[in-house]
Amino acid sequence: MNTLFVQHFGNDENRKLSYYTAQMMGYQAARRAILEMKPEQIIEDVKKSSIRGRGGAGFPTGMKWGFLPKESAKPKYLVCNADESEPGTFKDRDIIRYTPHLLIEGMIIGSYAIGCTHAYIYIRGEYTREAKILQEAIDEAYKNGFLGKGIFNSSFNLDVTLHRGAGAYICGEETALLNSLEGKRGEPRVKPPFPALVGAFSCPTAVNNVETIATVPHILNRGAEWYAKLGRIEKSGGTRLMSVSGHVKNPGVYEVEAGSITLRQLIEDHAGGCWKDKKIKAVIPGGSSAPVLTADEIDVVLDIEPFQKIGTMMGSGAVMVCDEDTDMVQLIWRITKFYAHESCGQCTPCREGCHWMEAILHRILHGAGAEKDLDMLLDIANNIGGKTLCALGDAAAGPVISFVKKFRTEFESYIRGQKKYA
Amino acid sequence: MPKCTIDGREVEFQAGENIVNIAKRVGVDVPVFCYHPGLSVVAQCRMCLVEVEKMPKLQTACSTPATDGMVVRTTSDSVKKARASTMEFLLVNHPLDCPVCDKSGECDLQDNSFAHGSAYMRSTEERRTFVDVDMGPVIQKNMNRCIHCTRCIRFGDEVAGVREMVAIQRGNMTDITTIDGLPLSTQYAGNYADICPTGALTLKDFRFKKRAWFLKKTPSVCGGCSKGCATEVHHENGSIYRTLPRVSPGVNKYWLCDEGRFLFNHAQEEDRVREVWTKTSSEATWAEEIQKFRSTLAQAGSVVFAVGSDLTLEEMKAIQVFVSQHAPSAVLGHFGTPGILTSSEDGPEDSILRMKSKTANLMGAEKLGFKPLQKASFDVAIVFTAGRAVLPELQAKHKIGVGLFITKEAERFDVVLPSLSMFEKDGTIVNHAGIEQRLRRVVPPRGHCKSISEVLMLLANTGKKQGVA
Repeated sequence: MNTLFVQHFGNDENRKLSYYTAQMMGYQAARRAILEMKPEQIIEDVKKSSIRGRGGAGFPTGMKWGFLPKESAKPKYLVCNADESEPGTFKDRDIIRYTPHLLIEGMIIGSYAIGCTHAYIYIRGEYTREAKILQEAIDEAYKNGFLGKGIFNSSFNLDVTLHRGAGAYICGEETALLNSLEGKRGEPRVKPPFPALVGAFSCPTAVNNVETIATVPHILNRGAEWYAKLGRIEKSGGTRLMSVSGHVKNPGVYEVEAGSITLRQLIEDHAGGCWKDKKIKAVIPGGSSAPVLTADEIDVVLDIEPFQKIGTMMGSGAVMVCDEDTDMVQLIWRITKFYAHESCGQCTPCREGCHWMEAILHRILHGAGAEKDLDMLLDIANNIGGKTLCALGDAAAGPVISFVKKFRTEFESYIRGQKKYA
Repeated sequence: MPKCTIDGREVEFQAGENIVNIAKRVGVDVPVFCYHPGLSVVAQCRMCLVEVEKMPKLQTACSTPATDGMVVRTTSDSVKKARASTMEFLLVNHPLDCPVCDKSGECDLQDNSFAHGSAYMRSTEERRTFVDVDMGPVIQKNMNRCIHCTRCIRFGDEVAGVREMVAIQRGNMTDITTIDGLPLSTQYAGNYADICPTGALTLKDFRFKKRAWFLKKTPSVCGGCSKGCATEVHHENGSIYRTLPRVSPGVNKYWLCDEGRFLFNHAQEEDRVREVWTKTSSEATWAEEIQKFRSTLAQAGSVVFAVGSDLTLEEMKAIQVFVSQHAPSAVLGHFGTPGILTSSEDGPEDSILRMKSKTANLMGAEKLGFKPLQKASFDVAIVFTAGRAVLPELQAKHKIGVGLFITKEAERFDVVLPSLSMFEKDGTIVNHAGIEQRLRRVVPPRGHCKSISEVLMLLANTGKKQGVA
């Protein structure tokens, strides 16, 4: 199986420029892009590679770049979303830790492709060490002429600014991220207009995930067709970094060719299966906002579309495994508490609904639930889902619906007093 | 012109118009909370969700611009369900203290709840509560009632030009408050109460004074400065309770400054002179004083008629005619705001509404040919005012005031004949831009106030058949 990232993970020495140039064709793709390629060619290559956004929504990256106006009186911006706030996701952290130059090179290529001269990396506030590592790599790149004025003696200039977030989950949503970047409250904006037209500082902006941007040098080095063919399903190319956590023997970041294996194979063959020789009860397959799957449902091909077909989502590729002893009521209460806490508070269904769901779940958990609460929970979740300004509402509603539907008996045993919160 | 269809009715629109406004034109009311035509669109409350053909999800009518051929449905089951659920969400933490809320009866939350909500409440959880900060002399805050529409934040930011209201905390505990809990500093604070769709921000001045549904509403024009903002004066049983701005796109849009808003309090002050007042006698009567006034005029050497530029065109004209017929040698001049003698000296005081001339009809006075009052000494000075013009320093042996005076002001005169405030008469005023607007009689005067034309008529009527109408 081909891997692009994971072979470089694990060794702190790998983050240095010397390793990057010696082992990873460092900055050759950027050199070729700037000196030999036209921006449209790069966008065309990215389109051909069929890479879909790795941040969660899975939007085709080439198409996203193509939406930016070619001619613009205003400056254009490339913003790298390194907020990685979806619970269970930790793949971008490893990219930044071990291959920061890959991200920087991707930023150079992406900026050149869309015509940006000042790019931003918005990094999660909690990533203190990673911010330091990345800043060191940026400084190193400046020192060696990969950033700054006249890169590779061309007329192309690029500055990269690292901006640290303040720890809000919602700032992983691209428009909230842009607001936060501008120094405003981290609240999502109304769309349309989309960032491609009105983004950072009201200028055309492309916002891409770390993994997406870090993939671009690979695409240019190895060829778009090669990259596209790594994916087994049409229109979804490349490899996927999967963050596997929870009740598995070997939690960690795994890289698989998109669609080459099933979710069960990922858990059992790669991550060593369920821990303590227990059985799997459930899997949250794409970050905490993805609807949960039961153990019977995990024979699903690991890619965006198959996941959608069974009513869940690939999201950021964060697989959380629950063993047979997991208390699902407690788990969904904790997940919902997270969303209630992270709701920005601007739109009604999310602000009021998430907290209300949390309160009901708390009540059920503490023995004060009623039978009708479960249908009410489903109704509230349905009233939130699809009605909110950004996707946080859906992220909160999806898990509640799936947990109540798939593990209703567990809720009922709390309601009937057969089970008590320990 | 592009066309779209709303609930089966085809309607033309201009590019960029949102569905809320287009729907209004064909009589379809889309309920809103956060949307306000005078503020930016944030699509936060989610009350205006409508079904748009070919779009998978419900769309917010406030932020969705219409496109040619768009088909919108506002009465489908999914829209009704969405509205009902938004109402339910908004009431989960609302205290429902309508019986003691000043907003009750004119509350968007109440009205939309009545129209789109359910009579049953499913929530049994404890409601969130907040500790409120003092917002200064104009606004009373009650955060528990707030529905987080952020109209107030946007008003401060976009209209009043001062970022003083902000959201702090987040999620369910989002608190809409002032920066560092400071009192409001804008001179337009009253608008916060107007635009608030619930009773979260109410006027301290109006607090617990009257239930909104008892108020009668008279459209009028503000006499506070030469802007001439359109107002609606709310009154009942001869008392004015508040003034609200009336929408007037060319003048004040949706807004009103605090000075104009609370101007009515001056006309209702306890120590306003409402009976004939003289320095010497406490039992003066209209008949005696008119008689004395007439003989004073006849005997006086030099007379000045000082006319406040807060009077209406009709009153000014009546004075002009009276002077030409009965005191042709008298000096005639207008007064109003110290330092602003002519309309050329007038101008905007800030970038929003307030003008430098604090009298409403400076332009009208000039149109009638009045000149600014010159300093000189006279035997008799007669001062006409509606209570807004700043009284001039006049050198005169005998001073007569006609108009609205409070006792302290009256003491500067020998005789005061009580007349009408700008809320007690009909008339015309001309604003700084030359727009003529109608001032409407809102309440009858209390006591024995007479209109200026009546006073002039009494003066002119010497028994012979002549007079000034």
